[in-house]
Amino acid sequence: MTLAARTLMLTLLGAPVLVGCSTTARLEPYKQTDAVLQAGDGVVILARRHHSTHEAEQEFVDCISDALASGKEEIVVHDSTEFEDRLYPWFEPTQAPLNLVEFTDLLDMPLVANRIADTGVRFVVWLDGSTDRVASGGNITCAAGIGGAGCMGLAWWEDDSRYDVSIWDIEQGNQSGTIHADVRGRSVMPAIVIPLPFISRPQVKACRGLTEQLEQFLTTPSGYGAGPEIG
Amino acid sequence: MLKAAKRISFHICGAGGALALAGCTSAVVVESEFPTPLVEQLPVSIGLVFEPELRDFIHAEALPRSSTWTIDLGDANLAMLRPLFEAMFATTREIEDLSPAAGNAASLDAILSSTLETFQFDVPQTTRDEFVEVWLQYRLQLVDANGLLIVDWPVKGWGKAEVYRDREEAVQRAAIVAMREAGATISTEFTEQTPVQNWLLRRSR
Repeated sequence: MTLAARTLMLTLLGAPVLVGCSTTARLEPYKQTDAVLQAGDGVVILARRHHSTHEAEQEFVDCISDALASGKEEIVVHDSTEFEDRLYPWFEPTQAPLNLVEFTDLLDMPLVANRIADTGVRFVVWLDGSTDRVASGGNITCAAGIGGAGCMGLAWWEDDSRYDVSIWDIEQGNQSGTIHADVRGRSVMPAIVIPLPFISRPQVKACRGLTEQLEQFLTTPSGYGAGPEIG
Repeated sequence: MLKAAKRISFHICGAGGALALAGCTSAVVVESEFPTPLVEQLPVSIGLVFEPELRDFIHAEALPRSSTWTIDLGDANLAMLRPLFEAMFATTREIEDLSPAAGNAASLDAILSSTLETFQFDVPQTTRDEFVEVWLQYRLQLVDANGLLIVDWPVKGWGKAEVYRDREEAVQRAAIVAMREAGATISTEFTEQTPVQNWLLRRSR
């Protein structure tokens, strides 16, 4: 392969990657109270599942739960499935409180309040949203013959991870705050003989960003500022 | 307890491409452990009748341009309803039928019969559809010790599940979600039924 051909190939491979494979992130935290976790307090991350068109993925719930539990603050995170089972039927999709009025009504029930107290959960973190494919395009053509096989072309797609987090304080019976996350990632796959995928994973970045925000949120009473740069 | 759900499902399809599509079969046996509801127990003694349509429920359906499905919910129905009723009522005893004759109603305040009368599901036909949905409807009939109907109550459940591995596994998860929803409605709204409230009021006098 001549130098010119090699340069052309590198340009063709590199250009879409540099231009195309990218992630943009926006995190908007809003803390309404100074409440923080005390010794013995725990949190539980629950997905909103009452929508007919989407729901926060269980793997996303697990990602944030695991990252919070193994973070530097060593937050006690309760298993969401176990929590829902212990509080059955009050956190099933159609029974779960959607607002603070319903939440305080639920906490007024001694059976429920006592069971929650047994779990040690202080904050309920609701996750609402999903990761969706919002755009895609391009084309890759592959062919095979006696002399060999190969592909040519370029494909791209864009995924958007949009999540709204609400943090409810069981002890105070109020909402501690909210975090909105919108992470958009574009992946590209150029193919010159072989397809080379350059994948952007916005959901992973949304998990990392929200975990860092929640860690601060749950442990910092004041001076809670803008979120970290991710991406 | 979705994580504890055993997965007993399979997909059999003959070779030969589109011509063999009509011969494809997807079989799902829904099995799971269900949690005991956290509700106030009613101080009544109830006889439980689980109708054969509930115990042996199998839904069979041939989907157009897809495969034939069989979905077995028999054991799951009992696994969901038994602990539910045991938590809701002070005493329960399983009996054969609704009839108060033949000593069925002895020492019982009422008899509760359960059946599963409707089951529908929808599976994605294209890769753009991501969710399986299940709708079901139980029917509960409560009769007093004299055989008089107190309430005839249809209870709906709806569940959806994202397709991760295969459609059979997603149908299983969606069915469990729908059953849990129905169980949640039964355990939280049973005493809100006006005829049930009136019956409880009469008993307390």
